Amino acid sequence: MSLPALLRAIVKRLVAALAVLSGAATLAFLTLQLIPGDPVAVMLGPGNAASPEIRAEITHEYGLDRSPAEQYLHYLGNLLGGNLGESYQLQRPVTDLIGDQLWPTVQLALFALLLAVTGAVALAAATAGRHPALRAAASLAELLAASTPAYWTGILLLTAFSFQLRIFPVAGAQDFASLVLPAVTLALSLAGVLAQVLREGLEAALAQPFVVTARARGLSDTAVRLRHALRHAAIPLVTLTGWLTGSLLGGAVLVETVFGRPGIGALTLQAATNKDIPLVIGLVLLSALVFVVLSTVIDLLYLVIDPRLRTR
Amino acid sequence: MPVNRSRALVLAAAGSLFLGACSGAGDTDGAAAGATATPVSGGSLTYAVDTEPVSFDIHASPQDITGAIQRNVFDSLVHQDSKGEFHPWLATKWSASKDLKTYTFHLRDDVKFTDGTAFDAEAVKINFDRIVNKSTKSQYASSLLGPYTGTTVVDARTVEVHFSAPVASFLQAASTPYLGFYSPAAIKKYGSKLSAGGAAAVGTGPFEFTSYTKGQSVTLTRNPAYKWAPSTAAHTGPAYLDKLTIRFLSQDATRVGALTSGQVQVADPIPPADVKTVKANSQLQVLTTDAPGANYALVLNTTQKPLDDIRVRRAVLRGIDIDTAVKSVYFGVYKRAWGPISPTTPYYDKALENTWTYDPTLAAKSLDEAGWTGRDSDGYRTKSGKRLSIEWPLMPQEYIREQRDTLGQAIQADLKKLGIEIKRPRLDIGTYIAKVYGGQEGIADYSWARFDPDVLRLYFNSSSDPREGGQNATFYKDADLDKWTDQAQTTLDKNTRQDLYAKTQQRAIDLALEVPLYVRTAVVGVASDVHGLKTDPNTWANFYDTWIGK
Repeated sequence: MSLPALLRAIVKRLVAALAVLSGAATLAFLTLQLIPGDPVAVMLGPGNAASPEIRAEITHEYGLDRSPAEQYLHYLGNLLGGNLGESYQLQRPVTDLIGDQLWPTVQLALFALLLAVTGAVALAAATAGRHPALRAAASLAELLAASTPAYWTGILLLTAFSFQLRIFPVAGAQDFASLVLPAVTLALSLAGVLAQVLREGLEAALAQPFVVTARARGLSDTAVRLRHALRHAAIPLVTLTGWLTGSLLGGAVLVETVFGRPGIGALTLQAATNKDIPLVIGLVLLSALVFVVLSTVIDLLYLVIDPRLRTR
Repeated sequence: MPVNRSRALVLAAAGSLFLGACSGAGDTDGAAAGATATPVSGGSLTYAVDTEPVSFDIHASPQDITGAIQRNVFDSLVHQDSKGEFHPWLATKWSASKDLKTYTFHLRDDVKFTDGTAFDAEAVKINFDRIVNKSTKSQYASSLLGPYTGTTVVDARTVEVHFSAPVASFLQAASTPYLGFYSPAAIKKYGSKLSAGGAAAVGTGPFEFTSYTKGQSVTLTRNPAYKWAPSTAAHTGPAYLDKLTIRFLSQDATRVGALTSGQVQVADPIPPADVKTVKANSQLQVLTTDAPGANYALVLNTTQKPLDDIRVRRAVLRGIDIDTAVKSVYFGVYKRAWGPISPTTPYYDKALENTWTYDPTLAAKSLDEAGWTGRDSDGYRTKSGKRLSIEWPLMPQEYIREQRDTLGQAIQADLKKLGIEIKRPRLDIGTYIAKVYGGQEGIADYSWARFDPDVLRLYFNSSSDPREGGQNATFYKDADLDKWTDQAQTTLDKNTRQDLYAKTQQRAIDLALEVPLYVRTAVVGVASDVHGLKTDPNTWANFYDTWIGK
């Protein structure tokens, strides 16, 4: 690829990313406007002793007495200046809050991803095209892993490894030991889905003529599976992994709650429940950004995995 | 307060609870706990709670959990014991003017904030003025100050607090952490950032607020200079614990598991379903205590048909088998309620007990008298072709606690037997607030924690409009109820107050303004090597006297 072509591609990506982000912010803003009820009343919750004067003060301070159009323009203006605003409820800058909560979730997501992909690849490579009974057993295990709610898996793992065996701490995000159980919980359901998809891809690849050719050249069965078939089957795996990773950000909320971990999931839940507009939009922007980055990474990975895509 | 995120989490008891020296010693009182073993200084303790504060600012937050945590960091002018009596704390003595519009406090002269600033009359003024300042956006403390007009600094050790109307409940208000004192230097430095807790939360209390990790924990460390505990405490000088960690474990299973596996030493609350298991564990003790304030109740809107008819309200009051419902939903852990306020609240009227037992026959007769004599094809009563139907909306699930939705099903079933239809549409929280607090629904359900009978004014005085931060969702205007609850605020005479508050409680039940359901009960699980754990009258665990044995 020539340099100007590369630059063009980069600019195109950036413009698309900006469009996605502003679209996400706008949609989030609109959705929040559609939620019924006075935003201050929702924020304060039922049975709050705040006097009408205090409610009026809050309404005014957050600009909620202005028209939605004005609020939107004001917000966009701040956003362009890189200011995500301040959380209504927590009274802290949204960027600080996200910054604080992001790292534990990233740790959790990455470690879970690592476990899930390793597990899925091992399981699928070992069972694809094997004895029907073995495949059926693996398939059942995957189905169970994929369909058990993370909440339930988490409680089971906690009961066994924390409450009974006392190997891992019950909760928190203070050290590596506290990361293991939540990551395994999250990884199990991911691995279930990924292994199913990967085995199907592997079996399709193993049925192709090049496999026979490779075997004829004297390669071992394992080498054929890992070096050749896996590569063919990897494209759907990568696509799906990317998509699942993006959803991990919010999807971690159950795991975070069960294990009492800080993180983006819990923050999102709190923000949405309390109609904390700046925080909700900040989080929506974050997750849009993650998806944009991930899809770029996936596109690049395609090129790495499949040489046919490189020649243009 | 009625909901999850509000002042809901009631930690323990109205009384001062002390844990005995070991599990065998059981629930002895403070003196005995001190006598059975010698307290040792040092060690750290982890305390698991189910709610995380939204704001740590004691002057702004309405949450129970904020008060519960900050009680260990902030002191009050006076201390209130479990019987409702007041004792010196930051104030050595005090007096109220005859009209109860001015309170004078004489302050200790040796108290320092943990940042080194001296606690004096000016600090009191700065803090009280901050509470009523609009920009503080106080959701609770300002209502405790009520008709506050200002504080006068008489000299460095004397302050006068002024009100535009009599406030008999002010000493109680002053004893809560919500009217606690930040270092004036911290207020100046951090301003609105006080809500973030951490280093900004500079008080005079036995613990310093060291750090806060959102979503995970709060760490408090001992204040080594502390020597101004109220005289009711079991010891003087600094607290025993080096460090107190508060963990936020919102899931019941996780919190209980953490306690039973010894990873936390105190867990609060223990859900009723788990109480038996925890009690059976020899390594653990359970503290069960009634919370003060208004009981969880069905508040009947007297301005909506058909509950505007007292005969229908009385039928609802007598037509629910509360004993059975409460016992089965809460495994016998919570007691059923007999009046608007709980037995631990000062001036509770015991005479109401067993006066309005379950009586479906009487309830049916009352409905007959009200003209609801027809029956439709679904078995519900009708009058002139209209079904006897009452709407009692459900909040979104995340706001519902203590399995109140399950209890609601039992109530629905009992009333169906009488021919009353209870409709429970699930509303989003915005619509719920607008309709329930706007007086458009038949029934509202909530409780309100406060160790003061003034909650009766909040519940039944017609000026306590829910549209303006009040809690009188009965919307009933009664000259007597207004007079009595107002008068009780103008006198400190115990006999007069007893009389006024007893009449109020009886009249509320007599008019069937609400159906009291259960007494909110705090259940705390504690490891048996934890000694001297106390709760203050506002029901919060106080770790000042707590120490860890072998």
